[in-house]
Amino acid sequence: MEDSTKTLLEVNHLSFRYESELVLDDINMNINQGDFVGLVGPNGSGKSTLVRVLLGLHKHYQGEVRWFGTPVRQFHQWPKIGYVSQKANRFNAGFPVTVYEVVAMGLYGKKGLLRFLNRKDKQRIHEALEQVDMLGYKKKNMGRLSGGQQQRVFIARALVSDPEVLILDEPTVGVDAASAQAFYERLSHWNREKGITLILVTHDVGAMTKYVTKVACLNQQLHFHGTTREFEESDLAGAYGHDVHIIHHEHDHHAGGA
Amino acid sequence: MIFLEFDFLRYALIIGLMIGVVAPVAGVFVVVRKTPMIADAMSHTALTGIAFHLWLASYLVWLSEWNPLYTGILFTFIVSFLIEYLRRRFQAFQELSIPVVMASAIGLGVVFISLADGFNNDLFNYLFGSILTVNAADAVVIGIISAVSLLLFLLFYKELLFLAFDEEQAAVNGIPVQRVNLLFAGITAVIVASSISILGVLLVSALITLPAAAALRVASTFKSMFLYAVVFGETAVLAGFFASYYYDLSSGGTIAVVSFLIWTIIVLAEKVAGQRRQRPWKEAKWTDKANQ
Ligand SMILES: Nc1ncnc2c1ncn2[C@@H]1O[C@H](COP(=O)(O)OP(=O)(O)OP(=O)(O)O)[C@@H](O)[C@H]1O
Ligand SMILES: [Mg+2]
Repeated sequence: MEDSTKTLLEVNHLSFRYESELVLDDINMNINQGDFVGLVGPNGSGKSTLVRVLLGLHKHYQGEVRWFGTPVRQFHQWPKIGYVSQKANRFNAGFPVTVYEVVAMGLYGKKGLLRFLNRKDKQRIHEALEQVDMLGYKKKNMGRLSGGQQQRVFIARALVSDPEVLILDEPTVGVDAASAQAFYERLSHWNREKGITLILVTHDVGAMTKYVTKVACLNQQLHFHGTTREFEESDLAGAYGHDVHIIHHEHDHHAGGA
Repeated sequence: MIFLEFDFLRYALIIGLMIGVVAPVAGVFVVVRKTPMIADAMSHTALTGIAFHLWLASYLVWLSEWNPLYTGILFTFIVSFLIEYLRRRFQAFQELSIPVVMASAIGLGVVFISLADGFNNDLFNYLFGSILTVNAADAVVIGIISAVSLLLFLLFYKELLFLAFDEEQAAVNGIPVQRVNLLFAGITAVIVASSISILGVLLVSALITLPAAAALRVASTFKSMFLYAVVFGETAVLAGFFASYYYDLSSGGTIAVVSFLIWTIIVLAEKVAGQRRQRPWKEAKWTDKANQ
């Protein structure tokens, strides 16, 4: 392969506030092609907000966010980025759509206006459903699936456009431990075999560190951003393992005190 | 059928059948977007436009050549954009944009009505509508409006579906959310205003919302929801047409009542059928093929 450390995402001095409350404070980070990033932090630390800024859903930020070198405000190749939101399965359960119809939506942006899905697209929808083991459910009504199954369908929708980056905001909430484990295995497999870049927001620090290649710890500021090894050697790992409250002395581990 | 030898009846039937398609189709989107009040807001705005036209026509004689409904269409069109703007501007209280606009429009309408010295017969007809008062020109205009609306619904089907299901995700996927919302508001406005001739201002929302609401209960795919809504809508329109011709009943009233009956029958049938389909709680397992 060519340059395998291509930078996909650059974030420089990013700050963001809702009305008056500062939620993101001077965030700097880079994500390279092939990274599997675990984004952790306590409730309300700004993880979902950061993701939404990256996706161009909040436009009034300060600083710089670039996807594939293009500032997010000018970026148009959104089909390159797959996203499953934290609120994905809070949709209107009475909406009469099938699993197939939901996954098809993932191709709509890529197709563009005034174009319809063709045979190849339909094939692609089947493949995406297969990737999450939900092909057998394709004609089922979305509202009649369990929460975990709906989550998979949304992941299939994010995968169907063959994105280079997949951003998942707490995808394993409400998923039993064994399934979560299998899910991480699957993500890791996509990451290694297909080279898909992953950003995974999660509270499941213990399980996550087995699979991710990089960790980012957020609490308004970015307290740690580095490889999983470095994370485990830092005392943040311990702090996160017991209790998701962020620790304030990230520089301490250089002193070797821990 | 003998009665079809009368021109006016033919036009009435043709217009009825066209509205019976487009109103429920628009209704499907209106219902799944959870903005059922929008049809009422728009039809009342059309009345404001009509009142404005009648008032103005008392000064500008040439205006009385025009069908006041066209001024009504213009008003709904403007108001639909206003509602979209407010929805966007005050996102946290989106649902308020419709009642705010509707109340203001009715207020303005009542002012125009009093300016045009009160509630005359003309206005009364618009309030309740009649399928038997339409003419050839109406049939042509409504035919064009219906054809264009259906074409636009077809062309923007993907975007409209995605927006109705998940507006935020649609934005992330690069769908031009704002433009598609405006387009939808514009089409709905025009459909609502054209339905007034047979349904009346007060009852337009019946043919938009009720068939779609009934379809919502029986459809399992989104596409099939359109089919059901149109079948229910046309049933109601035909009932309205015949009731109006043979028994001199209000077409709008009959359409609303029949739509309601269809909805009731479906809800009752669901109840009788009892055991709703069981939810497949059984979780699918992630297979191990990723771990080989
Ligand atoms: N729409 C909003 N308007 C105003 N403030 C908001 C909004 N959404 C989030 N916030 C605030 O921003 C902060 C960060 O929220 P965010 O949802 O990004 O946290 P999070 O890290 O994703 O938390 P969780 O782990 O609970 O998902 C919180 O203090 C929250 O109150
Ligand atoms: Mg969150």
